[in-house]
Amino acid sequence: MTETPEKGGWEPKIVAIVCNWCTYAGADLAGISRIQYPPSVRIVRVPCTGRINPFYIVKALQEGADGVLVSGCHPGECHYLTGNMAARRKFAMLKSFLNYLGVEGDRAVFTWVSASEGERFAKVIRQVTAAVKALGPAQRLVKKVAGQPEACAAEA
Amino acid sequence: MENMEAGLREEAGKLLREKKVAVIVGYEAGTLPLTAAPCFITEACEADKLVLNPFCTQNLATYVTELIAQHRDAQKRLKPEGRTKKVVGIIARGCTSRSLTIHLQERQYQRDEVVILGVPCRGYADVRKVAARVDGREITAGILQDDKIIVTTAAGESAMPLSEVTADNCLDCRFNNPVIYDLMLGTVAPPMDPSGEYARVEEFAALPEAERWAYFVKEMDKCIRCYACRNACPSCYCRSCFVEQTQPQWIDRGTGRADNEVFQVMRLYHMAGRCVDCGSCITACPMNVDLRAYLKKLDKDGWELFGHRAGLKLDEPALFSTFREDDKQDFIFEPE
Repeated sequence: MTETPEKGGWEPKIVAIVCNWCTYAGADLAGISRIQYPPSVRIVRVPCTGRINPFYIVKALQEGADGVLVSGCHPGECHYLTGNMAARRKFAMLKSFLNYLGVEGDRAVFTWVSASEGERFAKVIRQVTAAVKALGPAQRLVKKVAGQPEACAAEA
Repeated sequence: MENMEAGLREEAGKLLREKKVAVIVGYEAGTLPLTAAPCFITEACEADKLVLNPFCTQNLATYVTELIAQHRDAQKRLKPEGRTKKVVGIIARGCTSRSLTIHLQERQYQRDEVVILGVPCRGYADVRKVAARVDGREITAGILQDDKIIVTTAAGESAMPLSEVTADNCLDCRFNNPVIYDLMLGTVAPPMDPSGEYARVEEFAALPEAERWAYFVKEMDKCIRCYACRNACPSCYCRSCFVEQTQPQWIDRGTGRADNEVFQVMRLYHMAGRCVDCGSCITACPMNVDLRAYLKKLDKDGWELFGHRAGLKLDEPALFSTFREDDKQDFIFEPE
């Protein structure tokens, strides 16, 4: 990878919860096309964005993720026909609610990436990483383990 | 008010005598002055216990799911042909009837398993506002006279108009008359004033992010995780709640700051499109956590983004069990 983190610099940890049929294949395409993107992202593959319990996103933030990216098929292209549209409502409400609470809005990002959009996947990761990096390490909702407050940061 | 109580007792007694319902869920006088407690009446002769006054704060719909679920569990040991339905009668004002509508929308029971005795509502008295009026002194006696509450404490008697101690959620109530009922008692109550219902949400949303977060932390730090809010909430009827699940364990026990916050975020979020603003959680909260600031936000978003108000129409699906192809998606990230 050319975009390796600077030594000693802080790199964000981003959990990407992605749909098996579109974004996961899109990420695969980015990989086999050798498109460079930052190694800040940890991918969780799910069958459909409709399968994502919004709690996963809150939980990821609590467990120390600096950002959470949710990505699925474009509306109308869902493998299960409407899973992503059902999910869209939940995410619209969740994002608005997190913003209202005062959790930085850029930490939870929702987007659509299809299986043929390797370049778009790489772009999303680059831009989300940059945005989360600008926000700095997550502080809000984060659970710090007693006695080892830097547990999450040290691991990264 | 007295007239309606008499009519209510009569109708409740009649339903029980005719065996149209197995139980009536209503309010009886509480053990402390100026309180009312939920009660379950199974015999017609007990119907005279029923009261209806501005101290009936709790949303009774919360018991309907529980009663029916318990009955269904008890029926499991019977052969399918031997199973019976338990019909629950319930005294419902606007918010209670909306909660029942939510249960019906979410297929928790059938419409014929519940008999709804609709009553108009002019708002209930907020115990905290009454307590503030008497400087938190112990209330030894209290009566309601016309539209005034006369409270007796060690410091003497004080009178306060009901309109000045009406709960906030009742003051901006949009649906104070039942939206569904089988039998309507009394006359339709005049509408309340919902024009300012989102004023507080808008004011709060305009604050800088750090201030909003600081307020959330301050409020949620009060929480002792007694789950009274969940238990009082008619929309929280899950038999296995995420807070008690251990596989996976969503949140840890104890009142760690992040666990409190995550518990509250998720419980509040579960109320999206399901909160009828009955104020039961707020009344039940022993620590006076400001839950309404957040619940109203969800209500506002449901309405403004998707045109959905909780529990209004029986034939309307729940907010998250449906979608439209043209739902707003301006929150979707588009890389440049």
